[in-house]
Amino acid sequence: MPEGLLLVAISVVAGILVFVILLRMLWKVAEPNEALIISGLGTGSTPKSRPDSMGFKIITGKGTLVLPGFQVARRLSLDTNGANLQVSCVTQQGLPVTVRAVVIYKVGDDFVSIANAARRFLDRQDGMNSTIHELFSGHLRSICGGLTIEDLIHNRDALTGAVRQSSADEMSKLGLVIDSLQIQEIDDESGYILNLGKPHAAAVAASARIAEAERDQEATEAEQQAAAKKAASVRESEIQQAGYQAEMDQARAKSSQSGPLAEASARQEVVVQETRAAELEANLSEQRLLSEISKPADAKAYETRTVADAERDARIARAQAEAKETELKAAADATRVKTAAQAEAEATKARGSAEADATRATGEAEAAAARAKGMAEADAARAKGLAEAEGIRARAAALAENQEAVVAQQLAENWPEIVDAGAKAFSNIDNLVVLNGADGMSELFGKALSLGGTGLGLAKTLMQSMQNETATETATQNGTVHTIPVERDEQPSKN
Amino acid sequence: MIGNRGRVTGKIGPGLVGEVMISIRGGVEAFYAYPAEAGEVIEPGEQILVVDHQPPRSVYVQRWLPLG
Repeated sequence: MPEGLLLVAISVVAGILVFVILLRMLWKVAEPNEALIISGLGTGSTPKSRPDSMGFKIITGKGTLVLPGFQVARRLSLDTNGANLQVSCVTQQGLPVTVRAVVIYKVGDDFVSIANAARRFLDRQDGMNSTIHELFSGHLRSICGGLTIEDLIHNRDALTGAVRQSSADEMSKLGLVIDSLQIQEIDDESGYILNLGKPHAAAVAASARIAEAERDQEATEAEQQAAAKKAASVRESEIQQAGYQAEMDQARAKSSQSGPLAEASARQEVVVQETRAAELEANLSEQRLLSEISKPADAKAYETRTVADAERDARIARAQAEAKETELKAAADATRVKTAAQAEAEATKARGSAEADATRATGEAEAAAARAKGMAEADAARAKGLAEAEGIRARAAALAENQEAVVAQQLAENWPEIVDAGAKAFSNIDNLVVLNGADGMSELFGKALSLGGTGLGLAKTLMQSMQNETATETATQNGTVHTIPVERDEQPSKN
Repeated sequence: MIGNRGRVTGKIGPGLVGEVMISIRGGVEAFYAYPAEAGEVIEPGEQILVVDHQPPRSVYVQRWLPLG
C-alpha cells in the first residue's frame, strides 16, 4: 500500500516537474525592459486594419506560448544606452572646438519603433552604440555648426531643439528615441571661451578683490576698533588695577600703621580713661568736700541765717508788739494822766477855793489861835529849843558815831514826805513821754526814790529843803508842805 | 493617442521640431510635435491637444483651449 502510494506520489511529482519544465521551455515572458519578437508560425497574421503585415509578432509586458520548431522568440532590449561622442567641429562663429558629449538613447516603446529597431538591430544590439556614435558624430557636427559657443554653453533649449531638428527623422528610421544629449566638455583651442569668461572673470576677480579689500578694510577697521577697545579696556582695567593696587597699598599701609595706631589709640584711650578716673576722683573728693564741709557749713549757715532771721523776726515782732504796747500804754497813761490832771485841776480848783475859804476862816481863827499859840509856843519853843539843843547835841554825838543809821532813821521818819515830794514832781506834768518803755517809768521812780549811796545826798537835800520850808512856812500852789514834826526823845509836845 | 492632452517641452513652431510629453501606455513619452495649424507657435509649458499621430513618434498638435 505505502509503496503504491509512494509510487503514485513520485509519479505525480515527476508529472508536475515535467509539466513545469515544458512550460518553462514553451512559455516565454517579456520583461518590462524588453520586447519579445516572435516570428514563425501564425505570427504573420495581418490585422484587418492594416493592409501589410510586419511578418512578426511583438510582445511587451506579457507571456506567450512559443512553439519550438515552429516559432522563434527573440528579445530586443528596451534599455537606455549611452554613447560617448568626441567631435571636432566648427561653430557658427567659425571657431574650431572639440566637443565631448554623451547621448542617451533607447528603442522607442511603440510597436512601430520596436519593429524598426528589431529590423535593424536585433542581431547587433551590442553594435548599436558604434552605429549611434557614427550617426551622432555627424549630427553633433551639424548641431554645433548651427549654434554659437554661447548657445552651446548656455542655451539648452536651442541645443535640444537643434538635436531634435537634426536627428528626429533619422532616429525615427532607426526606431530610436533620443532621451537626452549632454555636452560634457568643449575644448576651445582659440581660447574663445576663456576670453569669453575673462571679462566676467576679471570683473568677478575685481569685485572679489574689491570685496576682499573692502572686507579686509572692514575687518581691519573692526580689528583696529576692537584693538582700540581692547587697549581702552586694558587701560581701564590697568587704571582700575592701579587704583585697586593703590587702595591695597593704602590698606596695607593703614593696616601696618594700624598696630601703632591702635596702640596709640589704646594708650590714648587709657589716658582718657585715666583722665576720666582722675576727674571722677576729683569729683568724688569735691563731692566729699561738699558733703563733709560745704554742706554742713551751708547747713550751719542756713541754720544760723534762719535762726537769725527768726530772731530778727521775733525781735521785730517783739519790738512791734512792744511799740504797740508802749503806744497803747503811753496813750493809756496819757489819758490817765490827762484825766488825773484834769481831775486834780478840778480838785485843786475846788480845793483852792475851799482852802481859800477855809484859810480865810482859819486864818482868822488861827490868827487868834496863833496869838495864843504864839505865846504858848514861845514858851514851848524855848523849852523845845533847849530840848532840841540837847537832842542835837546828842544826835551830833550819835552822828559822829553812826552817821548812816541816823540818816536812815531820818529818812525813815520822813518817808511820807519824800514820797509826797517825789509824787509832786509828776503832778505838774501834762504830757510825759517815756522813751524807755514801761521800764522807764519804774526806772524814773526808782531813780527818784532810790535809797542807794547816791540817793542819800538827794535825801539830805530833800530833808534840808523840807526843813527850810517848815522854817519859812510858805504854801505853794502845788500843795501844802506839811512839816513833819520831829518829836523829841526827851520831851513830848505840849498841846 | 489622438485626443490626448500633452505638455509642450520644446518650442513648437514653423521650421522647428517641437517636443511634447504625452501620457501613454502607463508611462510618459516624448513625441516630436508639429503644429496642426500652419504658423502656430506654442511655447514650452503650454497644454496641447493631439489632433493627429504620425507613427512612429510624430504628433500634430494644437493649443489646448479650455471650454468657455
